[in-house]
Amino acid sequence: MKILMICTMAYSTNMVKWSLVEKAKSPPSAEVDDDAESLSFAVEMARVANDVKAADIRVLFVKPLVYWTRFFIIATAFSRPQIDAIGSKIRDLAEKKYGKVPSGDSKPNSWTLLDFGDVVVHIFLPPQRDFYNLEEFYANATPIELPFENQPPFRS
Amino acid sequence: MIQPQTHLNVADNSGARELMCIRIIGASNRRYAYIGDVIVAVIKEAVPNTPLERSEVIRAVIVRTCTELKRKNGMIIRYDDNAAVVIDQEGNPKGTRIFGAIARELRQLNFTKIVSLAPEVL
Repeated sequence: MKILMICTMAYSTNMVKWSLVEKAKSPPSAEVDDDAESLSFAVEMARVANDVKAADIRVLFVKPLVYWTRFFIIATAFSRPQIDAIGSKIRDLAEKKYGKVPSGDSKPNSWTLLDFGDVVVHIFLPPQRDFYNLEEFYANATPIELPFENQPPFRS
Repeated sequence: MIQPQTHLNVADNSGARELMCIRIIGASNRRYAYIGDVIVAVIKEAVPNTPLERSEVIRAVIVRTCTELKRKNGMIIRYDDNAAVVIDQEGNPKGTRIFGAIARELRQLNFTKIVSLAPEVL
């Protein structure tokens, strides 16, 4: 599959221009600040998902691999009502606390995706999670340690 | 410019190899479909022993077209082939991986699932 050379050339020159503009506009620390902000948002969203008993929550730093987003949150839910609960809780908190409104699925789906721009949340049913296997596709991404992961569950 | 009777390649590992567009979804009398549009298509050729079979009617999203895709900043993207990704009624892709480069316009059109499975986004 080849793409017309001219367009790729134009693309790369534009990229160079953009990066120059970016560099001129903002010092490198601004980008780090943005990353930190997205990270705190992602961890907060993962904590909400954990509160609604989503299983196997992973937060991946995918910025070095893809340019279009910074963090992936991947979680498993066990039924559609649970997916709905996780989705609406995340939506509510993001809107109330951070003023962000996601695009993506509005109804619960076997793979529900909430797109916050810098953070993309994937909620799967267990068979779909095995089927699409996103963790393997983004295996080179850095996993982020979650603060609540090591806490013992209530029952034990 | 995809219209009924256009043949398209399949850009995923769902098992279909070639599609033929039979209807464009969106309006009652729409003539052409471009990148990011959903079409109804029939499978003309499929890989043996896969869930999808020849002559099955499916929905697909167009991800590459020979017609130029123009952006506001003057950039033009033109691919060598017409290609589509098979989806189900809910909008989930039937395959698990996408092949080749796709355009970032798909994300604005709420096909972020396809974008997140793609190896390269232009």
